[in-house]
Amino acid sequence: MTLTSDPISVTNVANSPTPVWRQRLRIFTHNKLAVISVVYLVIITAACYLIPHIDPGNQTNQALTFNTKWNAAPSLHHWLGTDSSGFDELGRIWYGGEYSMTLGFLAGFITIVVGTVYGMISGFFGGIVDTVMMRIIDAMLSIPFYFLLITMITIFGRSTMFLIIIIGVTGWFGNARIIRGDALLIRKLEYSQAATSMGASKWHIIRQHVFPNSISNIVTVATFSVADAILALSALGFLGLGIRAPQTDWGTMLQYGATQLQNGYWWEVYPLGAIFILVVVAINYIGDALRDAFEVRLLER
Amino acid sequence: MFAYIIRRIVQSVFVLLIVMLVTFTLPYFQDHSILGPAYATLGTKATPANVKIWGIQHGMNHPYVIRFITYVGQVFFHFNLGHSYKQNMSVVQIISLYVPRTIWLAFTSLMLTAIIAIPLGIAQASKRNTRFDYTGTGVAFILYGVPAFLLCQLALDFFSFHFPHLPSSPPSGVAPWAIFTNPIGFILPVACLTLLSLAFLSRFMRGAVLEVLVQDYMRTAKAKGCSNRRTLMRHAFRNALGPIVVILGLSIPGLLGGALIIEEVFNYGGLGIQTVAAAQNLDIPVILGITLLISILTLAGNLIADILLGVVNPRIRVEGTGR
Repeated sequence: MTLTSDPISVTNVANSPTPVWRQRLRIFTHNKLAVISVVYLVIITAACYLIPHIDPGNQTNQALTFNTKWNAAPSLHHWLGTDSSGFDELGRIWYGGEYSMTLGFLAGFITIVVGTVYGMISGFFGGIVDTVMMRIIDAMLSIPFYFLLITMITIFGRSTMFLIIIIGVTGWFGNARIIRGDALLIRKLEYSQAATSMGASKWHIIRQHVFPNSISNIVTVATFSVADAILALSALGFLGLGIRAPQTDWGTMLQYGATQLQNGYWWEVYPLGAIFILVVVAINYIGDALRDAFEVRLLER
Repeated sequence: MFAYIIRRIVQSVFVLLIVMLVTFTLPYFQDHSILGPAYATLGTKATPANVKIWGIQHGMNHPYVIRFITYVGQVFFHFNLGHSYKQNMSVVQIISLYVPRTIWLAFTSLMLTAIIAIPLGIAQASKRNTRFDYTGTGVAFILYGVPAFLLCQLALDFFSFHFPHLPSSPPSGVAPWAIFTNPIGFILPVACLTLLSLAFLSRFMRGAVLEVLVQDYMRTAKAKGCSNRRTLMRHAFRNALGPIVVILGLSIPGLLGGALIIEEVFNYGGLGIQTVAAAQNLDIPVILGITLLISILTLAGNLIADILLGVVNPRIRVEGTGR
């Protein structure tokens, strides 16, 4: 996004070149929106992981909420009111966020690890191996994501552990295709060919050349994967397949909140909705900025 | 070109077999092994004897390999997708009953998306890094970040509850043309699905045109005195068309997945609602049938996209293997 008005290209040639990672950092920080996104994401993540443990309050025991007013409007005592079970909405947001974030990050991690290994093998070996492996990806991509997700969850159940594994296992196909394209490209480049001619083994070339040179793409894809995993979990919450009550996640909360909207209980959906959307938007912006930062054309030579 | 198409079709059949293998095998992993659906159909108090009889009636006493081969044979040679466990209908009947409604929804919004997103992407690319571009990008990112169901429910709340102009759910007759008895009810679902797929396509179009704009032939076109408008339409748009054709073919599963959520929110009786109900009831033949149908649609979309790509871009025809 910041390709044109870039101060980076106007570097003094006489100076010794700055280290690559510092140039990348500068390109990244030059994108103000990306920096704001990082700050926002850090704050929300910290809140989700710290507040439920520092000030737990009552988030799960409905037997203790009988003397709280349910669906109460925001007040000094409950900053964002209470929800339809009498829990403090703000506390519940952080509590559910811990689940959403954890599941998002872990499931995203699974998709990127599986996708990278699969894509590397497919792209590097090429030929018939590549054709077969890519047709398998075609097959899995032609099954709609939600169909696969719902079917697997009704079959395997929805403990937190299985949710992570299922979202991870159903989400890596696209990643594998991207990484495979990278591996295919790098394998044909001169330095890989040179290494082959010097007698390097295939695994050596994958480890020493293909993997390090596609790490930028892997990191970018990983960022988007986390956003996708968080969104997938929220869709499951809508279908009633999210984290089981009394625990909760953001998708389930948004779904309950949205059904309360017509009663005028706006505080049960708009604050959380804004936080949630901005988290996904922030992750996507960071991914975009990372892609710019890794863009070799922007570096000084 | 002809050999290329034949090879692609053969590969598609192979891909379809993988889809069938995966979807057919998955139910074997559930609780109570493959007889799980028996309890979903007969009730949790079914006696083991009843379950066993039910299993024999549905051919489950045969070994896995035999069942799979029979299933593949049925599908390919008799176009028979089996019989629903829960509803007294064959899967083909269920699909033919509900597919027109989903098609109305999905393809109306696919057309709308293309009509809006392609000019938007071109405009954003040609005016990049202006306020217009940033606004477009911001809106696209936000639309991309909204969970589908939340967007639908907010739209429902705004346009159907607070400003009660639009009906909250479309007419629900079973006949394929029932939707046209009251087309106003069709507006909200189509608008939501369009907004949801808009973000991705406009971002993609912007990227594709940007990629073309830096090419040498664009500079040449400018140098020979082409007007801005002409370079954009004659040179940039045509060359960016290839990726768009591919992405439209690839967007079918995403579109139908989004349709699933939208059908749930607006109570729009189509394939999506059937899928969710079938998954909850473990009505496996229905799940397999619908999944297979959508896979076939997707593969056909990819195939048509690849062939069109060959028409648009002769280089691919010569190379043969497109990828």
